[in-house]
Amino acid sequence: METSKSLSPITRIIKYTLIDEVQQRSFVIMFVFCAICVFLIRGCYQGNYMVNGHSLDAGTVVRALSKMVFHIISAGVMVIAALLSMRIFRRDRNEGMQSCLLSKPIARWQYVMGKIIGLWVLSVLFMFILHSIVFLTASINLNVFMPEYLVASLLCSINLLFVIIAMLLLSLLMPDIVAFLCVLGVGIVGLVADGIAAASHSQIAQAIVPQSGGHPQSDWAWWKTVYFLWPKLSGVQQMASSLIESESFHGFASIYPFVNVLFYCLILGALLFKRFRNEDII
Amino acid sequence: MIELKNVTKRYDSLMAVDNVSFSVKTGEYFALLGPNGAGKTTIVKMLLDFTRPSSGSLSVRGIPSALAECRQSIGYLAENHHIPPSLSGWQYLLRCAELLDIRRSEAIDHCRHIVELIGMQGREDTKAGTYSKGMIQRFGLGAALMGDPKLLILDEPTSGLDPIGIREIRQLLESLKSQGMTIFLNSHLLSEVEKICDTAAIINRGKLLVKDAISAIVKDGETLEDVFVRLVKG
Repeated sequence: METSKSLSPITRIIKYTLIDEVQQRSFVIMFVFCAICVFLIRGCYQGNYMVNGHSLDAGTVVRALSKMVFHIISAGVMVIAALLSMRIFRRDRNEGMQSCLLSKPIARWQYVMGKIIGLWVLSVLFMFILHSIVFLTASINLNVFMPEYLVASLLCSINLLFVIIAMLLLSLLMPDIVAFLCVLGVGIVGLVADGIAAASHSQIAQAIVPQSGGHPQSDWAWWKTVYFLWPKLSGVQQMASSLIESESFHGFASIYPFVNVLFYCLILGALLFKRFRNEDII
Repeated sequence: MIELKNVTKRYDSLMAVDNVSFSVKTGEYFALLGPNGAGKTTIVKMLLDFTRPSSGSLSVRGIPSALAECRQSIGYLAENHHIPPSLSGWQYLLRCAELLDIRRSEAIDHCRHIVELIGMQGREDTKAGTYSKGMIQRFGLGAALMGDPKLLILDEPTSGLDPIGIREIRQLLESLKSQGMTIFLNSHLLSEVEKICDTAAIINRGKLLVKDAISAIVKDGETLEDVFVRLVKG
């Protein structure tokens, strides 16, 4: 009984968040633009693939192509989720919705929870629809069914949760645009670091860089720790996209990015609730 | 109904509210008066838990103001009320009803009654972006009245209203008072306060100067304005 009483205001705030966002012209424009862009790639899913006169297996090519599109969509929607989240508290404050909601018997944690879930549901749907367009294009044009593509899409939703919580927290602490750049920076640094790490494990890199290296061992340990602890947004994408190529997971290392991002969601979420609890409502 | 005990609010070096204590009884029409920056809105915000006191305690009907259930019986109208421009007045009122857990069918009847009460029939379906300040203030008052609150907290309720609107709101508040509602008013309109309120408190620079019945504050041959100026300046 108590639980349902606590949930009902959250459900309403989720509903209002969804309605208010979908009614925003900028959201509609972003969604239509993204859908058209994804729809335009259907041309890549037609005809035979020939290299040096040899016909390639359509399934393999489609999976490789779809994997690339998967990463572009996932990263793009993360940016969109950040854009949606960065203005939500400010808009609620300016339009009087924050004081309206919090002058009713609604606790602050319920308000914040409603906002987080509302934005998350919206972003996940946004990404899922775009991924579904790719899935349907591959299914219809080439008869290649990749249900794991949609599972991978859902797996990536943890990244969106991270972006939303981080944006909401940072937007309380600094100007919106700075908060946006910080979250973007976290993603880009992670991506670059993952790229460097992957390259350093390649055979060429192993051959070029002497094993003993020029750097002291302690320096490497420090960087490795930072790399290990850094939010693994691109790692989650890699992990999810490995499903598309039906790669199997190998132990904790495979699921570590997911655990890492989930851990950050919990920590940042706790900080967000604590910060908002002490926020003055205007 | 309302109780403030040794409430202090400090913003860095600024003392916004300095050790203020007073209470408002059930059914009372109370006015909190003071010049700009005296700490009136800070007290209202603390009652609604919009900001936390640095020390002291506030409660409404015996429930600490920090608890969400304290606001179950409060209707609040902010000084510069806003309504999301994408919503119509009707949608806004319906949302307020939903947030108070009023059933849909009841909420519709209630909203209809409130629209009549605030004199906004025929304008309730237009988007709030097209409303004047006075109209927004009326819908804000309507939202505050949603769910028949026991306590109405009004921060400058007539702000932006024309003289006819001010009169209508005054009549509405008087009728609510006669129904036993407790009204907590923040206002600069001393003549209005003198006409309609039972009790008043005057604060300046965060300190409570006086809290009593209007009839006890205003002596013969004086107006509330005279008392206000004398207390605040002297």
